[in-house]
Amino acid sequence: MATAEIRFQPGRASGRRATQPRRPAVLRLLQAERSEEIFPLLLEEIIALGNPRALIVDVNLDSGEVMPAAALKWPRPQMEKFTSALWMQEHPLIAALHSARPEVLRKSNLHNKPLYVHPILYSNRNLCWEADRIRTASCLAVQNSRREKRVRLEDQVCATCEMRAYAAAVVVELPKNYSEQSVAELGELIDLANRYLSRLFKVEHYYNRMRDMEITIAQMGTVMQSMADPVILTDTQHRVIMQNKAAERFFRVPDEMTEGLVRAVEFNNLLFSAALSSMLVSGSDSHRDLTLVDAIEGEEMLFEAVSAPTYGPDGIQLGTVTVMRDVTDLRRADQELRLNYERLSDAEEVVRQDRDRLNLIIENVGDPIVVCDGKAKIVLVDPLAQELFGTETDVVRDTVQFQNQTKLTAYIDAFTASFADRETAPLRLYNPALRQEIEYDARSGKIFGERGQVAYTVTVLRDLTALRKMEQLKVERRMLEIEKFAATGRLAATIAHEVNNPMEAIKNAIYLLASAIPENAVPVYSILKSETERVARIVRQMLGLYRNTEQVKPVNVNTIIEDTLLLLNRQLQRANVEVQTELEALPDALIAADQIRQVFSNLVINARDAMPNGGKLRIRSRHIPGYDDLHGWVRILIADTGSGIPLEMIRSIFEPFVTTKGERGTGLGLWIVKGIIQNHAGKLSVKSRIGRGTTFKIDLPVVKL
Amino acid sequence: MSSEGKYRVLVVDDEAAVLLTYRLILERQGYEVVACGTSVQAIEAIGKQQFDVVLCDYSLEEQHTGFEVISAARLRDTDVPAALLTGYATKETADEAASQGIGVMFKPIEIEEFLATTSNMLRKNHEPKQEGEKDDRGPQNVR
Repeated sequence: MATAEIRFQPGRASGRRATQPRRPAVLRLLQAERSEEIFPLLLEEIIALGNPRALIVDVNLDSGEVMPAAALKWPRPQMEKFTSALWMQEHPLIAALHSARPEVLRKSNLHNKPLYVHPILYSNRNLCWEADRIRTASCLAVQNSRREKRVRLEDQVCATCEMRAYAAAVVVELPKNYSEQSVAELGELIDLANRYLSRLFKVEHYYNRMRDMEITIAQMGTVMQSMADPVILTDTQHRVIMQNKAAERFFRVPDEMTEGLVRAVEFNNLLFSAALSSMLVSGSDSHRDLTLVDAIEGEEMLFEAVSAPTYGPDGIQLGTVTVMRDVTDLRRADQELRLNYERLSDAEEVVRQDRDRLNLIIENVGDPIVVCDGKAKIVLVDPLAQELFGTETDVVRDTVQFQNQTKLTAYIDAFTASFADRETAPLRLYNPALRQEIEYDARSGKIFGERGQVAYTVTVLRDLTALRKMEQLKVERRMLEIEKFAATGRLAATIAHEVNNPMEAIKNAIYLLASAIPENAVPVYSILKSETERVARIVRQMLGLYRNTEQVKPVNVNTIIEDTLLLLNRQLQRANVEVQTELEALPDALIAADQIRQVFSNLVINARDAMPNGGKLRIRSRHIPGYDDLHGWVRILIADTGSGIPLEMIRSIFEPFVTTKGERGTGLGLWIVKGIIQNHAGKLSVKSRIGRGTTFKIDLPVVKL
Repeated sequence: MSSEGKYRVLVVDDEAAVLLTYRLILERQGYEVVACGTSVQAIEAIGKQQFDVVLCDYSLEEQHTGFEVISAARLRDTDVPAALLTGYATKETADEAASQGIGVMFKPIEIEEFLATTSNMLRKNHEPKQEGEKDDRGPQNVR
């Protein structure tokens, strides 16, 4: 407490007392408007009560020093005894201060007369504003007022508002005739004065705090204004309470501005308000990107707005502080960076896929691959080639591999030196797995370097022997099948031939008898005739199948289709069947032409029979290429718009003696078709819908010799 | 052509029953028929008289074939129409027959077809027709 310097003028007090009747002490003390005025008034009142002299010692709570602050009628030399410090516990004054209770010192080394020592502390019965706001009772003033326990002078700083309190002691020399009552009156006066002092002290504390706060606010304002980023304080309705210059550039409408820019500012405000609302709604998310128009430059700028709510002392939101960061360049750079990264990773992905694909291709070629450099030195071999030549890194010890390498090097050397970009040549190498020398078909290509020199050569070795052997085997197997078929055919033909002649005679005889049949025998005669005709048809079919045993040879299936249609053209016309053909260019298929002709003939006749009232017959052919140019299929589709095959029959339709034609059919046509297709290693299937028509699909293998 | 204005047909087959029924059928149709069971008999008959048409089984007694009989008939009359009757013919047989202008009828033969083919062959060779039958099928392409 800064009262030590106050000089008390005894004359003024005594003068006042001499001239006018004394007003009660309460009222006199009330005259004090500042805390400094309390001590002089109090001392005056103490003297007025008849006490010879009085002084007030003040405790410096920072240093612990205890010194007289004001005195009345106390000789200055004697005052020095009252200078002490808080730690000097044995000092009677300090002891009294620590006890915080008034006491009378009858005899002491301080003074030769009895002394009344009354410690005073900052105290109030009501909580201070801060303690009231945060609803706590730990207000220093109230604690001092209650005096529930010994007060530690060192703790005279409020835990709630951090206000530094005061501690002092009023020391009064008692008159000789002092009584207990006069001491009590003195105590009451001092307490009263202390209450006034505490109130004034509190007011002054708040006054000081306000001044401090003003300074702080001014400082904050300066900080805010000097910020390059726009800062805006808004209320809960998003109305701008305060904004800095940087923000005004975007949100305030200056006087001289074009209409366009006024609109831009309005639009900025609108965007900002919308961003605030959305942040408020989303709750947690306090970051938003905002594109604003610079009202002075007229440029679009990208901002990242960061908002934080501001709260009042009661915890209710008062508004929002928004700081906006110009991220135009940052975002642009970020986008560019991301774009570049994506491009890079895309490119890497493409390269990776290419490499994977290449590896996959190399692994699945199934033929040895060797890559040599421009000097015919092996630089890369796949696992199959490793068997032949060893690895590219190891020194070859195996004599077989060494021999193979020598042969390969000779070949690659010649190829590298030649003018050809590609070459195919036979190369005989020893295959360790097969333990024999094998003729490979070496296919080589060159990879040129930047200066046009041969950088690498790539050679794929195809085991032609195996390939040829396999093809040969296939053809042989087919030949055997066809021969077997033909042999069976010849046998069947012989049998049929033996049946054929007697049947021819029977048939002829029946014909000759036609006119000589008595009327009552006609039904029996009819059975004889029709059943004989049926047998004749069966025999005819069987002989038809085996009649021509020709060699298989490469034939274009389209010519057979055309031949068949030409032959049956008249029959089809008569049956009112419209023929549509779509015959694509076909490679030759290795077939027995007459047998295939029989197939088409049977199927076309079936189609005709399925369309008794006419209809459409569609025949299509096309080439289905295989995995290499050696293989593939010729596909023929024969479709009618006829009555269709009942579902229950479709499974058995290729079995012998199954027919949809009743008495007219032999049930052998499709069985023969199936036999022929099977013997050609082909595939045959049928699809049919009642009332819509039937489609036969034939796939014949193309095998080149 | 016989003295009565009938076409004379030579029919050859080594199966007696078949031969007989062919003869009867053709006779009923109004032809004059000479039926022979062997190639030897047939060639002998060709030496005696001229035929308007020769219908001949392919496989005859022993290793003889219908081609021999037809060749003999063609020696006498180069234009005589002829057809082979057979149940079984190899590609080579069929090709040879076609190259010589010899028709092929496969047994069992539909009798209507048999008669139509015969009459067709005669009509082609002789402008005046004996029968007014209409048939658009050619003699070469029976099946």
